[in-house]
Amino acid sequence: MNTKNFMLLAATAVVSLLMSCNTNEGTKTTSTTQSPIDMVAEGEPEMAEVTGAPNVPAPVGNRGPKKWIVKLETTEIEGTIADSTKYTFWTFNNTVPGSFIRVREGDEVELFLKNAENSVLPHNIDLHAVTGPGGGAAATTSAPGKETSFTFKAINPGLYVYHCAAPPVPMHIGNGMYGLILVEPAGGLPKVDREYYIMQGDFYTKASSKKGLMEFDNDKAVAENPDYVLFNGKKGSLLGANMIEAKVGETVRLFVGNGGPNLTSSFHVIGEIFDNVYLEGGSTISHNIQTTMIPAGGSAIVEFKVDVPGEYVLVDHSLSRAFNKGCIGKLKVTGEPNPKVFKANTLVKE
Amino acid sequence: MKKYLLLIFSVALLIITSCTENKQQPVEQNMSGNSIFNLSTVWHNQNGDSLQFKNLQGKTLVVVMIYTSCKSACPILVAKMKTIESKISRKDIEKVSLVLVSIDPETDTPEHLKEFAKTNKMEEPQWIFLSSNEEATQEFANVLSMKYKKISPIDFSHSNIITIFNPKGVMVSQEEGLEINVDNVVNTVSKTVKEFK
Amino acid sequence: MYRLLTFCLIMFFVFSCTKSAENIETNSENVHAHNTEINSFSSTDVKMVYIKGGLYKPFYGSDTILVDVKPFLIDERPVTNAEFLAFVKANPQWQRSSVKKIFVDAAYLKDWKSDTELPLNADPEAPVCFVSWFAAKAFAKSIGKRLPTLDEWEFVAMADTDTPNARNKPSYSDAILDLYLEKDRQYKKVKQSKPNYWGVYNVFDLIWEWTDDFNSALTTGDSRAGEYDDKGLFCAGGATSATDVLNYAAYMRYSMRTAIKANYTIANLGFRCAKDTLITN
Repeated sequence: MNTKNFMLLAATAVVSLLMSCNTNEGTKTTSTTQSPIDMVAEGEPEMAEVTGAPNVPAPVGNRGPKKWIVKLETTEIEGTIADSTKYTFWTFNNTVPGSFIRVREGDEVELFLKNAENSVLPHNIDLHAVTGPGGGAAATTSAPGKETSFTFKAINPGLYVYHCAAPPVPMHIGNGMYGLILVEPAGGLPKVDREYYIMQGDFYTKASSKKGLMEFDNDKAVAENPDYVLFNGKKGSLLGANMIEAKVGETVRLFVGNGGPNLTSSFHVIGEIFDNVYLEGGSTISHNIQTTMIPAGGSAIVEFKVDVPGEYVLVDHSLSRAFNKGCIGKLKVTGEPNPKVFKANTLVKE
Repeated sequence: MKKYLLLIFSVALLIITSCTENKQQPVEQNMSGNSIFNLSTVWHNQNGDSLQFKNLQGKTLVVVMIYTSCKSACPILVAKMKTIESKISRKDIEKVSLVLVSIDPETDTPEHLKEFAKTNKMEEPQWIFLSSNEEATQEFANVLSMKYKKISPIDFSHSNIITIFNPKGVMVSQEEGLEINVDNVVNTVSKTVKEFK
Repeated sequence: MYRLLTFCLIMFFVFSCTKSAENIETNSENVHAHNTEINSFSSTDVKMVYIKGGLYKPFYGSDTILVDVKPFLIDERPVTNAEFLAFVKANPQWQRSSVKKIFVDAAYLKDWKSDTELPLNADPEAPVCFVSWFAAKAFAKSIGKRLPTLDEWEFVAMADTDTPNARNKPSYSDAILDLYLEKDRQYKKVKQSKPNYWGVYNVFDLIWEWTDDFNSALTTGDSRAGEYDDKGLFCAGGATSATDVLNYAAYMRYSMRTAIKANYTIANLGFRCAKDTLITN
């Protein structure tokens, strides 16, 4: 073997070593520290599944970043707010709260906002998950009958509120124009058995010119004195036949948002302790929490395992809101009793 | 009888000629309803020539609305336009017009515009400065979906938009805001020039 | 025989001539697009109301800046379906099938049965909607009028039924808000409700209205930006730049103005005309 050949061999060996080294490093970066901004969203855009409360779309799981089309329609519709009381709601996709959007970090979302032709007013959307001017509000301001769109990359995992930001904003939100968008981290949230979507809002009402129909009361809103504080836009939306459900032994995850426009929620489930709370919908997980604070325009993810059958009451623990203004719902847990954890003593000492 | 025939013939001839005369139409074939060449407003350029937008036909247009006495946003926009101009390939530049339309027709007379062009070294033939009257200005601003308001006799508040039209006068794209991406504009221009070769 | 031939010959020329004359007509519309030559149609009987004007404080802007609104005339009610129909009959270039797309979007005169027939069930005396700013301007020009300016319109809108400026009455904004929240109002006849202090009808109860300089509303669609021009400030600034933060009705009008473009045509957006006046008292 002459020197030349030896040199060549040596060089090849070094290069291949270097390369293998690089590859290893590359893999490491992807799995841990790659910025979501640099993640490449693969493929052609697909229509994203969105859902009305209390349901949520399927978890993102292990998939990589993708491109999505999300379509929302803003509407102004009559609906039932409590018992036989009608109210003029303004909505995203005809529901209060609006459709739940579920993506992962690194996803690219092209959001289309169509304002219904029979709307009286312009509407828009500010998603707190968006990094950019107004969260998309100016880019999506849509006159009645018109559609706008913008594209954003989800770069911060978390549970975010979206809402209409057209003037007067408190009125648009007060009428129900809010919802949640979940940005899951790479790899997805840990698997649980049940997931539900709950959003609190405060409502300020007065009689409208139409008989039996209530509408937004500006003065009450300014005074922050609501007639109703509600989960999912309607008294009883999580009661009776509408209770959310789980079985003994299952893990439950609640995506809880607060649209406001004004009140901060003290979210509590009577008879449960939250094993995990993603504080304010972000990345810090706190354990063993009884009541978590959810600011207007904010959220929390709460998780707990249900061990004992029964009906568990969801409330805003500012309790007048629960008992006098409608902010109450129920989780129904079925299954075998679990006396190791809880047993009512039937013997009465005399 | 012959005389009679001659008369008929002359009449017929007359009809024919008058007919052909009417047939001479300056109208462009297949003009899109979306084209700014539909606008009938009359403008003046920096040389004092009067013209309509349809006279700009045949070149890719990069259009911005400004006023020359502006001290805040417009100098930035003008600088952007100059950067765009410098980045368009010299091969393409003769197929492009960079058009600065005044939103202050009172101040921005042709002489004033000429002066402005000279001071800012924008004197090559691809630079076109236009001003008209208030009504035409308002109409054109609305064609560009531009917002503007006179807030004092010498000051306007306005949105900052650079618009690209193809050689047929149809809008290709708009870039808005003071952080306009120059390279996007340049790319769109070269693509448009290529498309209409 | 000769005569027949001559006749045929002449007929042929005449015919070919008429045909090209037709071409000319359509072509000439292209040439004189829309602003230079608009035919006036049988005049409408809308009464114009004299507004004496004066100093007024715009809803958005500095607290200290007052705008001097000069005297002007304004239509006592919005332009109706019947009037707009007469306009497009006299000005075929503004009919749905021939209008230049640069001036209107796809919804222009939506639901009209044909170029010259109103929508089924449309009340001729209801305000015309689905018209663009360009179309509204052409209409006004055709009868020697113009669109009111934003300041003129808002000046008139300060009045309630008894006073020229009711902005400080608590009932003022509330009453308007109630009207604004009602749907499908635009299908009602004009002049069925009470006029305001100036004798102007339907300021709030039927439709949104184009103004000449609607595009001078420089707030962005994001109300919280609120600055006087779009410098991209996105916070709760709307509350600081509006002079009357409780006037939700005014917020809505500005919201509408910032959401529209001149070629937009919308189900509840129409217009009325105005005119300069030399009378100053």
